[in-house]
Amino acid sequence: MKIKDIYLPLDAEIVEVTDMTPDIKLFKVKPERQFQYKPGQFIMASLWGKGEVPISITSTYGIHEYIELCIRRTGYVTSALHLLKPSIKIGIRGPFGNIFPITNARGKDILFVAGGLGLAPLRPLITQVMNEKKTFKRIALICGSRDPREILFKDDIDSWQKKGLQLILGVRKGLQLLLTIGKKDKSLQGKVSLDKEYLNKPKISFTNAYAFVCGPPIMINPTMNTLSTMGMDANNIFTSLEAHMKCGVGKCGHCYIDGKYVCTDGPVFSFAEIKKYGFY
Amino acid sequence: MKNSLILDKNYLSYWLRQLRKKMSLIAPVRAGNTDIVFKTVENIHEIELDCPASMPSPKGLLFPQKEDMFKFSKEEINIVRDNTRRLIFGVRSCDMSAVALLDKFFSKDFVDGYYMSRRENTIFISIVCNNPDPTCFCVGLGTGPFLKSGFDIQLTDIGDRYMVETDSKEGAALIKEYHYLFSKAKRSDYEDQYETILSSQTRFEKRINLENARQKILSERISDAFWEWVSKKCFECGGCVYECPLCACFNVLDRCDSEGNGIRFRIWDTCMFKGFTKMAGNICPAEKKGTRIKRWYFHKLIYYPEQFGKFGCVGCGRCTITCPGRIDMATIAHRIDIGNRRRR
Repeated sequence: MKIKDIYLPLDAEIVEVTDMTPDIKLFKVKPERQFQYKPGQFIMASLWGKGEVPISITSTYGIHEYIELCIRRTGYVTSALHLLKPSIKIGIRGPFGNIFPITNARGKDILFVAGGLGLAPLRPLITQVMNEKKTFKRIALICGSRDPREILFKDDIDSWQKKGLQLILGVRKGLQLLLTIGKKDKSLQGKVSLDKEYLNKPKISFTNAYAFVCGPPIMINPTMNTLSTMGMDANNIFTSLEAHMKCGVGKCGHCYIDGKYVCTDGPVFSFAEIKKYGFY
Repeated sequence: MKNSLILDKNYLSYWLRQLRKKMSLIAPVRAGNTDIVFKTVENIHEIELDCPASMPSPKGLLFPQKEDMFKFSKEEINIVRDNTRRLIFGVRSCDMSAVALLDKFFSKDFVDGYYMSRRENTIFISIVCNNPDPTCFCVGLGTGPFLKSGFDIQLTDIGDRYMVETDSKEGAALIKEYHYLFSKAKRSDYEDQYETILSSQTRFEKRINLENARQKILSERISDAFWEWVSKKCFECGGCVYECPLCACFNVLDRCDSEGNGIRFRIWDTCMFKGFTKMAGNICPAEKKGTRIKRWYFHKLIYYPEQFGKFGCVGCGRCTITCPGRIDMATIAHRIDIGNRRRR
């Protein structure tokens, strides 16, 4: 029996590298074969001699010509990736994981909350939603980052706004505080309410809305908690979790959390699931 | 079970000698004077059958501690595959059950080619345990000392002869070729076998009810404080994970020289280590030792039954032997179970 090797990466040539911020680069890669994917899925980016890292896909299949990966320089492999230039080949495996359950959200209000690099996994979803805007009601995006210069995908945000997206930018002190929530700060409660100031702004009906929250782990839980106290159903709040991964196919065990593998059962989980399995 | 055969003990070494000509024979052998290990047998008489459980478990034969996955250079990438034909003789029933569960794990959703190519070229001859170790508790889990299915060939020692059962085509082929060594089992042989199994079952010193422990965990009556208490006794040595015949977590690493030639290999990893879940940016979801231990137990007691319908523990008792803090599966599951009764 010939077994297809699930660990063998597919060659993909880097077509373009753009600096987004001092430590975030956008890579456009062209895979050797056809490569189909959906919003919310991720790939394992592989560099022979360095290793593999899970990276969420930030482009939309059928709209963008190449696979786009938004990578922050933080670790060993991502630092190595940042040194690469166009025409060099990297490896990609995937796509892995589940997708954002957007079909259930038809006919409802939608709220996106992105913190920093969290906009990257949400971008394909927002693009899809904005293209099918008629099937949804009001759509809002709260976009937060530590620094005004660190707002990603400004062109996309502009085009979404033209299509009727309510945009709330939080770039000054307030969001800075939002991002420090969870850093073992004991005065957590006062800051969650600050957080609420921003979450209150979009003009949507919270009781009949779907929310998609993405960002650093320290932001996700308080945000989802606040949304839930504001009347949103815990089953309608979704996030994309991140975890240490080595295989992406549910074998290596690194992303296992109390009964679920983030790579095969996730990365998209609802707040209800997160509470049930005690992810945070 | 109807078509069991009888093999005279005197014929065993002849049979193994013949089989060894076709494939490499791996069996439990005493290393030095202490541990039992599985290794390729030079001399058939070295094989130890009436001995304590092997340390480490035979999982390493299918899923080696370090395994090359790819050899790469600037020009090409080669997949490394191990296709050696192997006969593993003398595995215990619990380890055989573990292999059956690992097969399911490695072929679920995505098929792991490295494990499966080894597995497809390996035949197991398992042995019914007549003398379980004091640490064994497979009898309560249905994973031993006698198996009804899930083996290639199973031998039961009934005095001067072996009762031989087959449960796979590959196993049956090994017997068919040397059919002249085997005779049909008589009624008295079945009776002897039944008696042997019954006597073996009475020799278990430990009776652990994992189902009770699972129910109690599911009803959320085990607080995090309990796991914190357990964690105080943990040395974070990772011994339980390395010795466990079912733990299959691994890390993938690359090593290469300055010219870009190198290997990508996988190596056993353990969730008991702090760095296991650490992400870029120094975010560590399982920073507390208690959380990590809780995960290990949840994986074995909750996740495995949900996904595969069986516990992620076969009762081999290796963690009981290894754990320096005495917080092994048998002890903790028993404690969870007994604590329950006391409260009532």
